[in-house]
Amino acid sequence: MSRTSTERPVRDELRDTVREFLARRAPMGEIRRRIATEQPYDPDVWALMSDQLGLTGLAIPDEYGGAGASWQELAVVVEELGRALLPSPYLAGVVLAGTAISCSDDEVCKKELLPRIAAGQLTAALAVLEDDGRWNAPIGLRAVPNGDGYLLDGHKSFVLDGHLADVLIVAARTARGASLFVVDGAGPGLIRTPLTTLDRTRPQARLEFAGVPARIISTEGGAGPVLARTFDLASIAAAADALGGAQRCLEMSIGYANERIAFGRPIGAFQAIKHKLADLLLEVEFARAAVERAALAAAQDTDEVPLLAGLAAAHCSQTYALVATENIHIHGGVGFTWEHDAQLYFKRAKSSQVLFGDAAVHRERVAAHLLDEPADAAG
Amino acid sequence: MSESGSPSVAAFLERAVEWLAANAERRPRGSQVRWGEGADRVALFRDTTAEDERAQVQAARSWQRTKFDAGYGAISWPVEYGGAGLTSGHEVAFRHLESEFVTPLIVEAVSISVSLEASTILALGTEEQKDRWLRPLRRGDELCCQLFSEPGAGSDLGSISLRASRAGDDWVLDGQKVWTSGAQFADVGYVVARTDAAAPRGRAFTAFLVPMDAPGIDVRPLRQMTGGTSFNEVFFDGVRVPDSARLGEIGGGWAAMMTTLAFERAGAAEGLGFSGTELVDRLVLTARKLGRSRDPMVRQRIAELYSRNRMRNWLADRAQARVDAGGLPGPEGSLSKLAYTRELQDAGDRAGSLLGPAMVADTGAWGTFAWSAFVCGVPGLRLGGGTDEIQKNTIAERILGLPKESR
Repeated sequence: MSRTSTERPVRDELRDTVREFLARRAPMGEIRRRIATEQPYDPDVWALMSDQLGLTGLAIPDEYGGAGASWQELAVVVEELGRALLPSPYLAGVVLAGTAISCSDDEVCKKELLPRIAAGQLTAALAVLEDDGRWNAPIGLRAVPNGDGYLLDGHKSFVLDGHLADVLIVAARTARGASLFVVDGAGPGLIRTPLTTLDRTRPQARLEFAGVPARIISTEGGAGPVLARTFDLASIAAAADALGGAQRCLEMSIGYANERIAFGRPIGAFQAIKHKLADLLLEVEFARAAVERAALAAAQDTDEVPLLAGLAAAHCSQTYALVATENIHIHGGVGFTWEHDAQLYFKRAKSSQVLFGDAAVHRERVAAHLLDEPADAAG
Repeated sequence: MSESGSPSVAAFLERAVEWLAANAERRPRGSQVRWGEGADRVALFRDTTAEDERAQVQAARSWQRTKFDAGYGAISWPVEYGGAGLTSGHEVAFRHLESEFVTPLIVEAVSISVSLEASTILALGTEEQKDRWLRPLRRGDELCCQLFSEPGAGSDLGSISLRASRAGDDWVLDGQKVWTSGAQFADVGYVVARTDAAAPRGRAFTAFLVPMDAPGIDVRPLRQMTGGTSFNEVFFDGVRVPDSARLGEIGGGWAAMMTTLAFERAGAAEGLGFSGTELVDRLVLTARKLGRSRDPMVRQRIAELYSRNRMRNWLADRAQARVDAGGLPGPEGSLSKLAYTRELQDAGDRAGSLLGPAMVADTGAWGTFAWSAFVCGVPGLRLGGGTDEIQKNTIAERILGLPKESR
């Protein structure tokens, strides 16, 4: 496909730029220092990402103040952020909330929020999960009409950036079914409690709503398709993030295998290590191919998006956990220490493995495509 | 990218598809598998009678001849040897297109001869050898078999012991080769023999092209666990050949073998038997027929097999794109082959879990006992063409840059 092949060098340049920026501005030592505090995000890095590199507006359509790039470019950015393990409002705000808003048909909302998200001036979070932590579970949070708006009662959990974001995009249940709402993060009646997390690079919060004012996006009961589409695209982003981290872990393992001496030679000379790394390379190469294909489908908006998003998310979440685990193992005892970076990637991998639905959930989408007759799909 | 003067791949394919449509039936679109229709064989090796096998070889050769005469048999070869003078990109595109048509079954004895052996002679042969062999081999008029492995030299080809001793202007070959596909049909054999007992392996071997009807050659079929005889032992007892039969330099045998194996690796992603979704399609149909398609375990495992098959094919496409853009074929073929054998293993496991005893005892039901031949073939695929462990060594050393094996 000539479009893809001529744009590949442009994406390679984007990748190099982002990687170089992160290596310079967000070294691991700085990340470790920040995640030990209440404020894991570096505001200077964030400002540079939006103002200088234009990353926040990259994939937002140009009519809403963005650069109008595709999911292929966005996937590259998310992958590099995952590789660097940078704590940042990017995933929750630009990718998750931004995608949900973009997928709706509410032009007023899009014109109001997307340009500010694109400019890096507004941070956002998407609140969908509740206590059982499943994306397609029935929604408990209730929304009742109140004048021109609505009031929300109930709670949300596991909300990425839930306590830090300026604005929240919230899934709640109305008389006509699941709907999406815009909520001011500092609004009345809203209690935002940070959760202690395994992965300190990804803050999460529990949100308690007691009569919280909210503005509906689009119409009552219209959130189903928007959330389904958002879940597909979020899955691709999760896969890209996992790919970046897995690739980095693999490189750490190869580096160590070449330099650690045991029994008179580098440990990489032994077949146990060699063969393990060959197996891991195959999984990472598969992951790369899967993310590329899923991102291409998203960029072209084909009907393979749910299938390829499920395929990529299942494989990448599993692969990241595997490579991060084996990375510790190949490093031996030092890989098990707090001070070594391997454990930070391991915690990100384990966290991601469950946060966006585990591999079995994603694989079920592939299974449905293969095994369900159209008549079955209604059941 | 096309060189000046040669047609783009798209233009080439426009003519090619017309020719193919005039010479073969198109495959029906969508899944090619219909439950209960046609043969249910899903075996990895041919286990037919000698008569049937001969007929399959003839059919494959005939199709090769038809393609060659129309300009599609040696697409990326130089024109002077019967080729079309186009690129590997054109070659690969044609093969993809060809797979959309019903053509004679690929027979290893023929495909190895047409691709690997002919390409090796193109790379290493003298002008006389190229004039003598290239056209007949590429056209399928004559067949060449490959004689590397020995009972004492499998993964470790450095242990080859079949001897070629100088006798005046001739050489005399003594020893044994094993796992030779198609030796019973071949006109000529590409043999690698030890010519220096003391030298390191890089200089110890020499390659020869030996007529398979030469006195002293004895071809004996090898029976494999699937029941068939795809391979042979070939005994050399005082086989005399002139020096003009030597392929490459004296002591150039190791390099010749590595050249041939590189072609094998480059073609590995393309030439693998079940590259499409045929196996997954069969398993999906089987699950439905048995009423197991709602079973969560079945759903998960088939979805995973499907996913890995697609990822393997994407990887192969990326490797090919690199070659089309002017890169050399790399060791990615090792990743493909490794992934392929794992896929086959997994497919066999899926079939077993779905079919239960019907896979291992023939009830006569369509699409059940047929899988037993498949399952018996998988161990062979993990061994031939470079074992899984050799592939992993290659991946680790040549892609990841890890230290080589200590020798």
